[in-house]
Amino acid sequence: MSETFIAKGKPRLLGQFVLWVLLLVGVAVTLKRFLFGLGSTTNLNDSYPWGLWIGFDILTGIALAAGGFTLTAALYLWGNKKYHPLARPAILTAMLGYIFFVIALFIDLGRGLVMWRMFLPWNWQHESVMFEVGWCVATYLTILIFEFLPSVLERFKRPDLMRLWETFTPLVVVALITLFTYAMTSSARWAATILIITVLFELLQASGAVPRSRPVPILLIMAGVLLSCLHQSSLGSLFLIVPHKLNALWHTPLLPIEFLLSAIMVGPAMVVFEGIVSARVFRRRPELELLTGLAKAIPILISIYLVVRVVDVAVRGAVFHAFALSPQAVMFWVELSIGSALPLALLATPEVARTERGLFWGSLLTVAGVLIHRLNVSVIGIEAHTWQSYSPAVSEYLISLGVVAGGLLAFRYIVVHFPVYETSARLEAAPRPAGRVGGTQTA
Amino acid sequence: MRAMLIDSTRCLGCRGCQVACKQWNGLEGEETSFLPAQKEKAAEFAHRGYQNPPDLSAKTWTLLTYNEVELDGRLQWVFGKQQCMHCGLDAEDRNQWPACVVSCPVHALEKTKEGPVIWHAERCIGCRYCMLACPFHIPKFEWDKAWPRIRKCTMCFDRLQAGKAGFTEPACSKACPTDAIVWGERDDLLAEAHRRLEENPGKYYQHIYGEHEVGGTCVLHLSSVPFEQLHYPANLPNEPLAVNTSLAMKAPPYVIVGLSLGMIGVYSARRRKIEAEANESEGSRHE
Repeated sequence: MSETFIAKGKPRLLGQFVLWVLLLVGVAVTLKRFLFGLGSTTNLNDSYPWGLWIGFDILTGIALAAGGFTLTAALYLWGNKKYHPLARPAILTAMLGYIFFVIALFIDLGRGLVMWRMFLPWNWQHESVMFEVGWCVATYLTILIFEFLPSVLERFKRPDLMRLWETFTPLVVVALITLFTYAMTSSARWAATILIITVLFELLQASGAVPRSRPVPILLIMAGVLLSCLHQSSLGSLFLIVPHKLNALWHTPLLPIEFLLSAIMVGPAMVVFEGIVSARVFRRRPELELLTGLAKAIPILISIYLVVRVVDVAVRGAVFHAFALSPQAVMFWVELSIGSALPLALLATPEVARTERGLFWGSLLTVAGVLIHRLNVSVIGIEAHTWQSYSPAVSEYLISLGVVAGGLLAFRYIVVHFPVYETSARLEAAPRPAGRVGGTQTA
Repeated sequence: MRAMLIDSTRCLGCRGCQVACKQWNGLEGEETSFLPAQKEKAAEFAHRGYQNPPDLSAKTWTLLTYNEVELDGRLQWVFGKQQCMHCGLDAEDRNQWPACVVSCPVHALEKTKEGPVIWHAERCIGCRYCMLACPFHIPKFEWDKAWPRIRKCTMCFDRLQAGKAGFTEPACSKACPTDAIVWGERDDLLAEAHRRLEENPGKYYQHIYGEHEVGGTCVLHLSSVPFEQLHYPANLPNEPLAVNTSLAMKAPPYVIVGLSLGMIGVYSARRRKIEAEANESEGSRHE
């Protein structure tokens, strides 16, 4: 494993100050929400039970965590070693994304304190998409924590625990996946099937018939990819049951496929975007060569998504909704043009995709496109009663901003105190024109 | 299954059902106002009809709606009744579960074998997916409470369970002075509804709302006018909404096994190739 270093950039104090203010305001408004109920802090109503928090914090937040599974799949499953320096930041982003997603969910749920009831066997209801979503979150978050543990163990210089981690992680994964399968099916046969497959695979590795991946157990990576695919697609499945409420521009039996494809497309975009932004924040050179390589995949992925999306809308005959004079039609065009076609054009143009600025805008627009799609599905496309409408309240924005600020502060804290960025990035670090160098130290 | 038949041609609009519902279920009254001075409250009535309160809520589980419609060339009042439709005809068959029940992750909503759809406080986590899923906009939420509940008509399941003769009937049908609401076995009520439609073809719009909607419901409605004019949801399919998710919910085990095998295959093949390449380059270096 290549060496990692602890990022010790001189923080931009103003930015940090703003984040702290946003976080504290968010906490204060959250307090109000828990004391006086959702009605006191949101514009949600009986026709629009889901709003900004579901659309932005949860659906989009999870999509943006997709960098974790797409990158680890490319790196460990496919064996594309050069992306190694990007893996830990992507895993960290995914882990924090999920942690803050759970916090947002806790705020949004009417009775969040008892959300553990979902895991009690006598409450299991595996016909519910929400049940699958909940289980995916809990299981994948556990997997992510295991994926991130090496950074923590390295930081505290505990090679003994690291060996323990390497030995026991496959066992934990086998147990988790078997339990997950059992919860999804209540079928001992299915659970046994997956148990046998995973155990056999471990034995094959132990016997040397299949090379073992070291130090990260490949089973851990596989479980992450598997749960991500299920989770991303199930977020789309949530809306399958509302053909009568969701505008035909978005409601399709392909919703789970579209959510999965858009997550896979936004995964690398998020890694690129984050790579550029965090380099700026910590005043080091972005890994442009790596990012450009990664960005080459994005136009292909956008094209696949776009073809599925457009053909689906056309085949179902929903096209005429797109030419209605409605906010839904406008948002449909915004989503497809600014959110998909424009980043596709930008990143497919080699002259643009080679530059830092081009990568920045291309990846940002891809992320925005997924954000708009998720908001369209969960809020804008929902048409319930004509006499009730919904637009987010100020406190809804404040809590969302607080959640994001909390996530960014946690990210900053962790990359400063734990080995996340690799030494290669440090070696490339060069003085910026301003003359201030991000001081670095090896862990 | 127990069911209700609501015949709006017999309804006087007395709202005795609404009052009885509030009394039996201990629901608070709602403060409403038509006064122009209280603009915000008065505006709630816009577009919803002339009933009071304007809409169902956590405190109002059934609502008589006042609809002014053109009938036989003149304007008439036709009354609709909003309440839970208690969807589904088979509590055992998951594919026929109501949308709220099938969407609930913790079985907080339950389709009972007796017919009523009820809510369990000790399970609910407040995700509000049932509210989104319900095609009739029925489950309501206590937006003003710190520990909110999902509230909706239970077809007076507690009365049904009390089981004393003459006391099992839901409060609303018990209170109805004209038998516009009757309660009984669904099969009997359906036969009765068909009989009324046949005997009085001119009096009724020839449709039993709830016979086939979303797979059939335990509340059946008859009316003199098309149900859209009473603001009943009209775009509903005849099969249960659960069919929309059943395929997606059958998929996980196949995806888990298929994707696992696929990934194992990809990994093994790629690893061999990578190692072979590494050995080759090493070998050439030695030469």
